[in-house]
Amino acid sequence: MDWTVISRNIDFLLGGLVVTFQLAVISLAGGIFFGVLLGLARISSRKYISCPATLYIHFFRSQPLILVIFWFYFFVPILFGKPMSAFISAIIGFIAFETAYFAEIIRGGIQSISKGQMQAAYATGMKHHQVMRYIVLPQALKNMLPSLMTQSIVLFQDTSLAYVIGLQEFLRRTSLVDSREVKSIELYLFSALVYLVICLTMSLFVRRFENKVHQGV
Amino acid sequence: MIDYNFDWGIIWQQPYGPLFLNGIKTTLILSACAWILAFCLGILVSVFRVSSSKPLRFFGATYVEVFRNIPLLVQVFFWYFAMPSLFPKPMELWLYDNISNLPFFLGILALAFYTSARVSEVFRSTLLSVPHGQYRAAYSTGLTPYKTYRFVVLPYAFRLSIPPLTTEFLSCFKNSALTMTIGVLEITGTTAYIESFTWRGLEVTTAASFSYLVITLCIIALMAFVEKKTRIAGMIHQAR
Amino acid sequence: MIEIKNVSLWLGDDFQVLKNVSTRFQKGRTTVICGPSGSGKSSLLRCINRLERFQKGEIIVDGLSVRDPKTDIYKLRKNVGMVFQHFDLYPHMTALDNITLAPQKVRCLSRQTAESKALQLLERVGIMDKANSFPAQLSGGQQQRVAIARSLAMEPKIMLFDEPTSALDPEMIGEVLDVMIDLALEGMTMIVVTHEMGFAKKVAQEIIFMDHGEIVEAKNTSDFFNHPDHPRTRDFLNRILSHV
Repeated sequence: MDWTVISRNIDFLLGGLVVTFQLAVISLAGGIFFGVLLGLARISSRKYISCPATLYIHFFRSQPLILVIFWFYFFVPILFGKPMSAFISAIIGFIAFETAYFAEIIRGGIQSISKGQMQAAYATGMKHHQVMRYIVLPQALKNMLPSLMTQSIVLFQDTSLAYVIGLQEFLRRTSLVDSREVKSIELYLFSALVYLVICLTMSLFVRRFENKVHQGV
Repeated sequence: MIDYNFDWGIIWQQPYGPLFLNGIKTTLILSACAWILAFCLGILVSVFRVSSSKPLRFFGATYVEVFRNIPLLVQVFFWYFAMPSLFPKPMELWLYDNISNLPFFLGILALAFYTSARVSEVFRSTLLSVPHGQYRAAYSTGLTPYKTYRFVVLPYAFRLSIPPLTTEFLSCFKNSALTMTIGVLEITGTTAYIESFTWRGLEVTTAASFSYLVITLCIIALMAFVEKKTRIAGMIHQAR
Repeated sequence: MIEIKNVSLWLGDDFQVLKNVSTRFQKGRTTVICGPSGSGKSSLLRCINRLERFQKGEIIVDGLSVRDPKTDIYKLRKNVGMVFQHFDLYPHMTALDNITLAPQKVRCLSRQTAESKALQLLERVGIMDKANSFPAQLSGGQQQRVAIARSLAMEPKIMLFDEPTSALDPEMIGEVLDVMIDLALEGMTMIVVTHEMGFAKKVAQEIIFMDHGEIVEAKNTSDFFNHPDHPRTRDFLNRILSHV
């Protein structure tokens, strides 16, 4: 075992971690934004809105993320005739993919609100958008926050797949160092540990939050 | 707009057609093997997690957190690049040289351990969702804890766990694509492989996406059938 | 038949549910336990067949000590049937299978014997035609009658009822009480936690009033209603009877 390989390359590796965080944060923002739109579209009563949304969600949920990344890196540029950087295409791929998952969480959250709540609101003379804005969404958001945060942790882990298109995020840089120095055990243990600490911290946070939500009810 | 001449024939052509079919077969076998292993490990770990022994519970919790919070790709790399070097050098070389299917087997292991952590969480939460009254009712008629689990709790928990287990199996199936990074020629790996020979990536990748879609739909249809068959009359099943 | 001596039960470290409770229940008699919610009635019932482990005191059921770790608790439970507030039927089994499970697995009866016995019991509680229905297909009253049949199938010497009608719609309470009244008149030893005072007046020989984990008053039925000693009992009776 030779752990100096980590300290010797720590700047390079941490630089990768910064890229990982950039990927995660931008994709998360985009994923949630489009996820809310798509989730609302999915439960729309208008067929021409809900149908395409449902198809989109089902299609992307059936695909492996790695294939989606390939699509956006290699082939979508061909179709549009414009090459894209690995970073941009990875972001687009992640957003396109995660949107489908976030949309399902949003839908579940909205549908978890009992019919009685909506009927009670309608009975006081509120309009549809008011019922959504003041009654359904505040409760739904609280219900789905734990799942949203869990999915965010998954997304954070998923960013490692940008490895396959050569984007120099944390895992790619780990493997680059490995190919130079051949210290697989130390390097992969280190990267596993870094991911573990970050994701575990986030999931402990989610759990504490969940308990709070439960106590609040 | 599109500056690309499609040649869909590539998918049927020798040797790419059979190669592609072989990729589908590899994906199916790999994910099935990983699933069976994950299922058994998952049951074991969930039993640990609800056991009364503190060390076992701690072990179970650590197991789940470790395998759930490290990206699958890191785990795959660890199994393939780091694990063999834990052995003495001659053995490591022997492993890489003589086991032609090494990536396949290590891919199964990586996928199985990763999936098992999730499966055990499904089992644990369905076990916990069986109402306490069920235990009380069973105990009050003189059933032992073993018989209570065997006849009352587990059959019910099994039915509750079908929808979340289907989701986990589908994830396992899709995640098998990650083994391409260590050279397993499953669907995605085969696609990249054919692409590198033919420059017909668009056609082959479309075929790959289509394959994943169709197989996913088949699994969903199959599980919907199983769920309908095992549905408890009169009960409204809450999909979780 | 059942002797309860100085039983104390704590849930958690500092919440005492039962405080030094002592009483006895005699063979062939029906006792009603009433009292405000949180008074420890249901907990006392659950201590009798060790669904709840009490920390102090002793309960003797039919000569067997409940607290003694050497007691074969499964043998004891065979003789003590219990009916719950929320029925707790096994949702994945038909009514018939709910009833025959324990006779087959605990008393080792053959399936045939267990089933013919179960059908008799279903007839007795008046829902022969629901044998092959699943719990979710039955009304609350029907479910509770199946639950009573499930307990009776073990041929218990004692029946414990834990608020058997409080989760039922008003129009279904009668059908369950009728089954219980028949059972009491046949001479079953019954302990019933309930607020159905009409039922108490009709069949109970003794009534126990509990509050804050203690037995406040225990008397024979007519004395209990006509000459309650304790002000808390009178207060409770006033509140509960004023609605009738």
